[in-house]
Amino acid sequence: MSAIASLFRNDYGADGFRACSVTGLDVHRSVENYVKLFGLTAVIALAVGGSFAFSVAMTRWEFVGLLDASSYYTHLSMHAWNLLIFWMVFMEIAVLYVGGPMVLGRELPLRRLAALGWVTMVVGAIGVNASIWLAEAPNEAPLLTAYVPLPVTPWFYGTAIVFLLGATIAALPFFATIWSETRDSDRTLPLVAFGAFVTGIIAVEAILGGIAAFAYALAWRIDLIASVDPGIYRQLYWIIGHGSQQINLLAMITVWYFLTHVVGGAVVVSEKISRTAFILYLFFINLGAAHHLLVDPGMSAGWRIWNTSYAFYGAAFASMIHAFAIPAGIEAGRRRRGQGGGLFGWLTSAPWRNPVFAATIFSIILFGFLGGITGVVMGQIQVNMTWHNTLATVGHFHATVALGTTLAFFGLVLFVIKTMFRRDFVSDALASAIPYAYGAAMSVATLMLMYAGILYGVPRRTAEAVRNIPGSEFSFAAAVPIFMIFGVFALLAILSGVLFVGVSVGSLLFGDRLPDGDDGGMLPEGGLHADGGEPVHAVELRGTFALCLIFLGVFAAVYVLNWYLLTQLWAIGA
Amino acid sequence: MSNPLEDPDDDWWNSPVNRRESIWLGLAGAWSLGIFTWMAGFTQFGDQNPIGTTYDVDPEEYQARVGEYKETTEETDDGLIPPGDDVYVGAMRFNWDGLPVVLEAGREYDIHLGAYDVQHGFSVRPEENLNKQINLQVFPGSEWVIPMTFDEPGTYHVVCNEFCGQGHRTMHGRFTVVEG
Repeated sequence: MSAIASLFRNDYGADGFRACSVTGLDVHRSVENYVKLFGLTAVIALAVGGSFAFSVAMTRWEFVGLLDASSYYTHLSMHAWNLLIFWMVFMEIAVLYVGGPMVLGRELPLRRLAALGWVTMVVGAIGVNASIWLAEAPNEAPLLTAYVPLPVTPWFYGTAIVFLLGATIAALPFFATIWSETRDSDRTLPLVAFGAFVTGIIAVEAILGGIAAFAYALAWRIDLIASVDPGIYRQLYWIIGHGSQQINLLAMITVWYFLTHVVGGAVVVSEKISRTAFILYLFFINLGAAHHLLVDPGMSAGWRIWNTSYAFYGAAFASMIHAFAIPAGIEAGRRRRGQGGGLFGWLTSAPWRNPVFAATIFSIILFGFLGGITGVVMGQIQVNMTWHNTLATVGHFHATVALGTTLAFFGLVLFVIKTMFRRDFVSDALASAIPYAYGAAMSVATLMLMYAGILYGVPRRTAEAVRNIPGSEFSFAAAVPIFMIFGVFALLAILSGVLFVGVSVGSLLFGDRLPDGDDGGMLPEGGLHADGGEPVHAVELRGTFALCLIFLGVFAAVYVLNWYLLTQLWAIGA
Repeated sequence: MSNPLEDPDDDWWNSPVNRRESIWLGLAGAWSLGIFTWMAGFTQFGDQNPIGTTYDVDPEEYQARVGEYKETTEETDDGLIPPGDDVYVGAMRFNWDGLPVVLEAGREYDIHLGAYDVQHGFSVRPEENLNKQINLQVFPGSEWVIPMTFDEPGTYHVVCNEFCGQGHRTMHGRFTVVEG
């Protein structure tokens, strides 16, 4: 216990504040302690969900074929809820507290609510885990979606609602901070706080949808209402089902702006453009959830075109804005200090051995190329027919969430270990290896999932469907080589995750305490606020521009390939 | 000097934008509009659109309708031969009612999709070319009518790709498409 208590100890002044030696922010004890609490809880959820990654991947890789079908769906549900929801949402509350009171240099208000929110979330998370693990026939494992009228225990819907209520309560201190900062003033929030604020609003939208969906299903399971409409449930469900992943996206982008600045020396190249992109998200990104409903009965063509195309491209456009603005911030910041010339010198001379920097950059690149492009392509009405419920979809969300958000959050956790827990890494070499090992292994595993889905049509949500389909002469055996590669790299990715948890927990328990004022090697060369150089708008951003042109070229190629495959099909629909 | 942890300068809205960022905004905007136009246009000129007509129907009533339809079909070793252009498929745990069915290449059929119990996934692909595939969602309570024309003769397999219970992976059906 004393080891845990010592994690929450730092040298604060009489007023409870201390100056952070890396960010220069005035950090209050209350904010820091709650960021640590939510962050540590998130890492526990990551470890739980990650251990189920092993059994899920080793079952789907039929060469090993670890579990039978009934255990597989239980393990898959545990994997999904702990990683997609609990690891992410606990981290996101921490991101809100950093982006709100910490960046603004305030105490955390409403601390009792923060504590109540944490307790409620933990109770909900344990309840969801228990209801999945203890589910008995005729109830099925709920997967992430729990589509009605599949029989799922009412305890699942009930405890999921408890968790969502807890997350809402935990977000209130953040909103109170923003409210008190901006009320009666014409203050413009710093970009990171602004991004966190938009993240918070998207989160509330998603949570309301989730409470509505699960309350509707719960009412049916406890016989308050006689029947449920699967289409209405799906519409409500996907407000949270995909909305929760939009929270991840916004939190991740906010973390990108934060970390590229503090460890890479990035500047904001245009406040106007970056903020406009966040506003576009606010209005449009939740419409992206409609891509789950594109091949449902009962949706008009107009509904589909509006939701997934016309308006959703407001959000896709916003993502392309950030795709330029964030690397441009690094390029401008480093060029202004004279760090690296030529087309890419600013990038090659960057602090690649700093795992926080490397994790952030890999998150940006892998999210964009693997997650963003596939998201927009599969979000087109017609192409969606070929992706829906195949392993390609699973590849898409591993690219966005496992590569994009998880890598960014890995960077953030490592950053917090140095700056808030004030611990040195137990091994710098192992810490530096984390983003490389995890990024590379998970990228290959993700690509194999996409190939298995698109090129071989292998369905998702099956324990086995490649080598061993009972009662059918039909077979997906052609995809076996893909799965041999997938299995090996999934194992490597899981080992990299173990490395992350090991280094993090090891550093917290056994890392040397950093002396006051020590930056732990986190600061960019020349410090955080290097002066000099030309104004940002006059810096030659040609490296970023070249990278973005490559991105657009890959985007166009993937788009054309998918449409080519689609037009090879027989004629379908009106 | 703008940094994301501090309030921006007072005139942040009027600060000049880097020339290359402006060009990128134009490219990204044009690309977004372009793919929107293509997708919306394809619903008019394209041959692959997951659009049909949906009717509300009680699951038991739909099951009865599939039963009546099956009475009118001709039974062969390769499957049922429908009397007209309507083909009824009923999804149930863990079977595709109404399949296998024998269809003619080049002829347009109205495929009726519905479920008797829970949600299912209607996933179709030819046996010899796995990447030619479509996936549609099937609900209890809805009858979705989608026209389809199979150009090539061959065997097309139907698997369920929505989790409908633990026997879900065994849920298979078949279209046998013959020369018309």
